[in-house]
Amino acid sequence: MLVISKRAKLLRTKQLINHLPKLRSMKKILLSFLLAIPVLGFSQSFQVNLQGQKQTAMGGAGAGLALDEAAVFFNPGAVSFLKNNGVQAGVNGIWLKTAFNQTGSSITEHNKSKVPTPAAAYAVFGSPENRLRFGIGVYTPFGGAMHWNEDWSGKFTVTSLDLQAIYIQPTLSLKITDQIGIGAGLVYALGKVDLQRAVPYSNNTGQQATVQLKGNSKDFGWNAGIFIKTISGVSVGITHRSQVLATVKNGDAIFANVPSSVQPLLPASFNATLPLPATSTVGFGFYPSEKTTIALDVNWVWWHTYKDLAFYYNNGTSTVSPRNYHDAATFRVGIQNQASSFLTLRAGAGYALSPVGTGYVTPEVPDANRILLSAGIGLKPSERFGIDFSFLYENVKSRTETNIESGLSGTFKTVAYIPGVALSYKF
Amino acid sequence: MNSTYFYKSALAIAILGLAACKPTIDVPAPTKGTADFTRYIALGNSLTAGFADGGLSLEGQQNSFPGMIAEQMKSVGGGSFSTPFFPTDKANGTGYLKLTALTNGVPTIVPETSNLAIRGQVNGVTLYTKYTGEINNFGVPNIKLIHARLPKYADFNGLYERLLPGEFLTNPTTYLEFATSKPWTFFSNWLGNNDILAYATAGGAGAPPTDKGVFATEYNAVIDKLTSTGAKGVVGTIPGVTSTAFFNTVTLKTLLAAINATPAGANVKDIYIQPGVGAPRAATAGDLFTLTLSSAGVMGIPNNLGIPYGLDPRNPVATQYVLDKAEVLTVNDYINSYNNTIKSIANAKGLAIMDGYTLLNEYAAGKPVNGIPVSGAFIQGNLFSLDGIHLTPLGYAITANAFISAINAKYGSNIPVVDITRYRGVKLP
Repeated sequence: MLVISKRAKLLRTKQLINHLPKLRSMKKILLSFLLAIPVLGFSQSFQVNLQGQKQTAMGGAGAGLALDEAAVFFNPGAVSFLKNNGVQAGVNGIWLKTAFNQTGSSITEHNKSKVPTPAAAYAVFGSPENRLRFGIGVYTPFGGAMHWNEDWSGKFTVTSLDLQAIYIQPTLSLKITDQIGIGAGLVYALGKVDLQRAVPYSNNTGQQATVQLKGNSKDFGWNAGIFIKTISGVSVGITHRSQVLATVKNGDAIFANVPSSVQPLLPASFNATLPLPATSTVGFGFYPSEKTTIALDVNWVWWHTYKDLAFYYNNGTSTVSPRNYHDAATFRVGIQNQASSFLTLRAGAGYALSPVGTGYVTPEVPDANRILLSAGIGLKPSERFGIDFSFLYENVKSRTETNIESGLSGTFKTVAYIPGVALSYKF
Repeated sequence: MNSTYFYKSALAIAILGLAACKPTIDVPAPTKGTADFTRYIALGNSLTAGFADGGLSLEGQQNSFPGMIAEQMKSVGGGSFSTPFFPTDKANGTGYLKLTALTNGVPTIVPETSNLAIRGQVNGVTLYTKYTGEINNFGVPNIKLIHARLPKYADFNGLYERLLPGEFLTNPTTYLEFATSKPWTFFSNWLGNNDILAYATAGGAGAPPTDKGVFATEYNAVIDKLTSTGAKGVVGTIPGVTSTAFFNTVTLKTLLAAINATPAGANVKDIYIQPGVGAPRAATAGDLFTLTLSSAGVMGIPNNLGIPYGLDPRNPVATQYVLDKAEVLTVNDYINSYNNTIKSIANAKGLAIMDGYTLLNEYAAGKPVNGIPVSGAFIQGNLFSLDGIHLTPLGYAITANAFISAINAKYGSNIPVVDITRYRGVKLP
């Protein structure tokens, strides 16, 4: 058995010698796993699909319709087909409830209640008689808020994530003929990320070391669409929203309760790029009666560009976390019925395939295939004024996995309850 | 249909949805299966006692793997579990190593010498404050398998002596008799490491490994006793010695690099060692240096004839600091043989087996757990404590979960695993 050497001074000098070659690797090891990465969402991974209350109530479908001002997002080509100009603003509250059971444990842990409120606002201008119309939209196509207890069993992977990408999109829409409209918008994307996690350094005080990564990004993208009213009465929309590479420059890396001996090895800032993927959509509108509209959308989200999440730190180190997402489709169907001049009823359903492959599920994005069910009502107290309510329920399939990077092994189950309201005014 | 109705409906749906439904996951209920955990006893050496950082302290005892398992067993009918804790005013027990500085990644390690539980020293045996309460954790540092049935073993091991009633040199009770003096329903047995470890850590220069045949005889005898009353149990295989930080921190490469970095040693190409058998020779990558060579402070120091230590065949690195290639083969051969013995006896008796050899090799090679990077690297690997051999609390928690998995698999029980994120790695200053 080991003998404790009392020759501490000699130990120090000799270890100085013997450990020198280890230093470089130590720095690297201290940092690897320090910073993996984010994000969570409400349709697929961290994509958010709550851009219009009417559409949300209809399962998130709407690319094939000229429904309202939210066409600025859903299909810029349809904006020129809107009967009125108008302005609308809406907000959703996302009650996201995730449970985690670590493999072999009898304990089920739950995320903390933290309700993000993504908002969307649109305005459409220009004379409805003219072929050219203008629109502007401000909306949140990506985001999430996932907060776990500070001492949960996955704390070394993440304790909280707040992610938000707000897109500002001025848009032009041209009705080429009475049957075909095209439109396009420039996207200015403002991103914000705040990721926190525990860091596995043990110190003498027993306080948990943590790191917070905070940063902002400003990037450009675009959104374009074509809208066709076919002779058969069915309308068709084809749209593409471009990828935005959210680039964080000089984000803050803030460490707390880190042992002082480790402090000099740690970075203070980082650069990172997170791809917010492109989405292509084909949508159809069916009009079985004057008062009834059925929408059918298929989204294809080009997630394959999210291969890894790399952080480059100001101390020359970097961490690259593999993600290897694959493209994934979402299928949406919705119906609306104008019950009276005052009331419109809406309902919808959808199924979203997860872009996250086996071994890559993380507690920031406990993603899996999910079922979407929605309902809503639209009220029209006056000719110009409208108020729309939506309620979206998402049921994410339970998924049992071991993450290849963190080794965190267990079962995730998520449901989300997402009510929303929007006010609109036609002019 | 009026608007009030819809407002109410929408509100009702919203309230129902938001208030009620947290998702649930079907978690199998804890169950004891075919085992009975009413009184669990743990037999073993330092790894069972909670030895860490070169010593046994109250903190180490509180983080012993049997203590962790027993806590988890409580949900499946496990009873109270007592560990022979050092008193809080003597919490530092035998003393242990502390990391007091890490300057540019260079560690300063000093012994803790306050609040020890030492009551004296007789015949070269250090005696510790007696413990008189109930005991379930019978882990005794330094004990070999061949000591389990050795009368008067307490006369040689102060950490065993402290558990026994009576004065020093007056109690001949064997370890196995003592541990089985009260009825038990379940046991863990992780004896056997020291039968090879003592040889290995002394660079092959200390006591020879326990004879393979003797090991089998003794292991059979211990297991026969432990199963004699029908109790079920789990045994652990012996971890690989050569994958520990003790043998992988000071290497030929790091020694040469350090010496080459000094002006006088810039041209040194070889380190000379005294192998266990034969003449001094140049070290190869297959020869393992002990961590204690680092603390001995001998490298490069000239002897009476002015020949620098370790840099010339006339003044080689002494054999106790080197586990040479041949000795590595010997060590691995013995471990392999011991483990085959352990597994075949355990299988014959229908006992659960925790494969400590595979487990610790796997983690020493590098494997993340719950987002914590774990490897065999000294200090930063989180697995081995500052002595390079014994585990950190995190390492013991990983081991506890491996024992739990083995028990669950064998007996159809469902003891919940330990949340390993609650246990620390090496404390950094």
